[in-house]
Amino acid sequence: MEVNCDTIKHLAKLSNFSLSDAEIKSLGGDLNSIIGYISQLDELDVENIEPTYQVFEMENVWRADEILPQDATREQLLALTKEEKDNQIKVPKVL
Amino acid sequence: MKYIPTIGIECHVQLATKTKLFSEVDNDARGKEPNSCVSPVDYALPGMLPRLNGEAVRLAILAGRAMNCKINLESRFDRKHYFYPDSPKGYQITQFYHPIIGAGYVELPSGKRVAIEHAHLEGDAGKLTHFDTYSLVDLNRVDTPLIEIVSMPDIHSAKDAHDYCKELWRLMVYAGVSYGDLYNGNMRFDVNVSIAPEGATELGTRTEVKNLNSFRSVERAAEYEIARQTKLLESGEKIIQETRGWSDATGKTTGQRSKEEAKDYRYMPEPDIPPIRLSSEFVEDESTKLPLMPADYRKKFGGKLAGDTLEVLLDYPELMRKLGEVADEGAVLLSNLFASVLLAEEKSAEYLNDLPSAEDLNELCKMNLDKELSSTATKDVFLHLFDPQMRGRGTRTIAKELGIIQENDMGALEVIVDIVLAKPETAKAQADFKAGEEKVIGFLVGQVMKESHGKANPSAVQEILRKKLS
Repeated sequence: MEVNCDTIKHLAKLSNFSLSDAEIKSLGGDLNSIIGYISQLDELDVENIEPTYQVFEMENVWRADEILPQDATREQLLALTKEEKDNQIKVPKVL
Repeated sequence: MKYIPTIGIECHVQLATKTKLFSEVDNDARGKEPNSCVSPVDYALPGMLPRLNGEAVRLAILAGRAMNCKINLESRFDRKHYFYPDSPKGYQITQFYHPIIGAGYVELPSGKRVAIEHAHLEGDAGKLTHFDTYSLVDLNRVDTPLIEIVSMPDIHSAKDAHDYCKELWRLMVYAGVSYGDLYNGNMRFDVNVSIAPEGATELGTRTEVKNLNSFRSVERAAEYEIARQTKLLESGEKIIQETRGWSDATGKTTGQRSKEEAKDYRYMPEPDIPPIRLSSEFVEDESTKLPLMPADYRKKFGGKLAGDTLEVLLDYPELMRKLGEVADEGAVLLSNLFASVLLAEEKSAEYLNDLPSAEDLNELCKMNLDKELSSTATKDVFLHLFDPQMRGRGTRTIAKELGIIQENDMGALEVIVDIVLAKPETAKAQADFKAGEEKVIGFLVGQVMKESHGKANPSAVQEILRKKLS
């Protein structure tokens, strides 16, 4: 699999990133070498092998359905946003 | 040409848990300040770790069982990526590849079956409010637990689409899976509609009407789409596959701007949530918590109650639960009282939250069957069982205080009849009756009722009168 300029532009758009041409070029090089490295795994025959979904081999990590007080207050959380209004997060108009 | 509509429905059901799907925050944000039910997990702060609410898993098992579905012993979560301000994480945690609920079916009151493809657990998104130049984000609803129920395209009329949604509502509410509060968006429906010429082997191009929040709008939107698509095809035009919005006010669907790019959610396994692995014993144990369901009530009362009365009552789970508690011999009488007296009252919602005890209701039925209460008196006492001043006192005390217990003691009634027959003003009526004028018996019964201050049992009085005047 080859990561080309269009793939990166597509991904950037999906994630709402703006990238300069220079960044696209350097990211392309990085991603291609990462994928090339990972692609060594393609040499293995994994037919009939259950994919690994989770590497810690844990299961059923459930918690009780009880309301607990939170450390972070609304004010603290809202303070992390760029802009707020009426206790809500203000963002450019989306529709 | 005749066109056959085909409808499939996706339904999001909000689960009746105390906390959210992945954080220990209050799940009930009704009437609460924006962003007041939010934790760092919902805010997607770096380093946050979502933890699965075990109650959501239990409710999903009940939901699955309510729809006759297979429960998958192994299920997992996936990330569904999209960029939008209603999701600070940049993805929704859902079950794309391995849902907890497998195939099953929902049976409609008409007996038709709608197959369920699967249903899965997922977190809701936040709420956006749009203004002229900006939008505001309230994250209270982020990761409210939902199950999304996906039906097969098994529905072929707007009416059946309505009935399917209503039956789903009943199943979820009876099972205790959801509060089913439609006004507050506890259930939302996406309706896929296509039409194809009769006999065609392939389905037509479909449109999806999103975010309907009542059974009525599901039915109207489906009707509208069927008519719109038929008209298009008949005039030789093509149907565009698109998402459409419904307006209750105009009664129309309109095309929504479609995203230029094809959807690309880049699903990947959610590494933060270990898989759910259930034992069959656990699933069976949880399933036994399923209370009596609409189908059980239909079986129990089906032969005894008029079908439409039963279907009306089934819309009120509290009433059905109560009917399930009372003695069998009184169930028909009480069903009719509930249907005719209670649901006609304006205050019915208030009544429904505070129904009389099964003991009081059983006593009421017994007094009616023993003819201690006439049908009018039964209704009267029934309504008084809801009276905050009277309700704690018990049925018999209330009936006594109202002075409407019927006199059934034949000896006592005979004494009253004798008094009435001795009165000169009844002499003519007695003579007329003996001469064969049948209808004056009504006048005489009336006189006895008056003498007894309305407490005599009229049919017993008539019996005594006939014996004495023969």
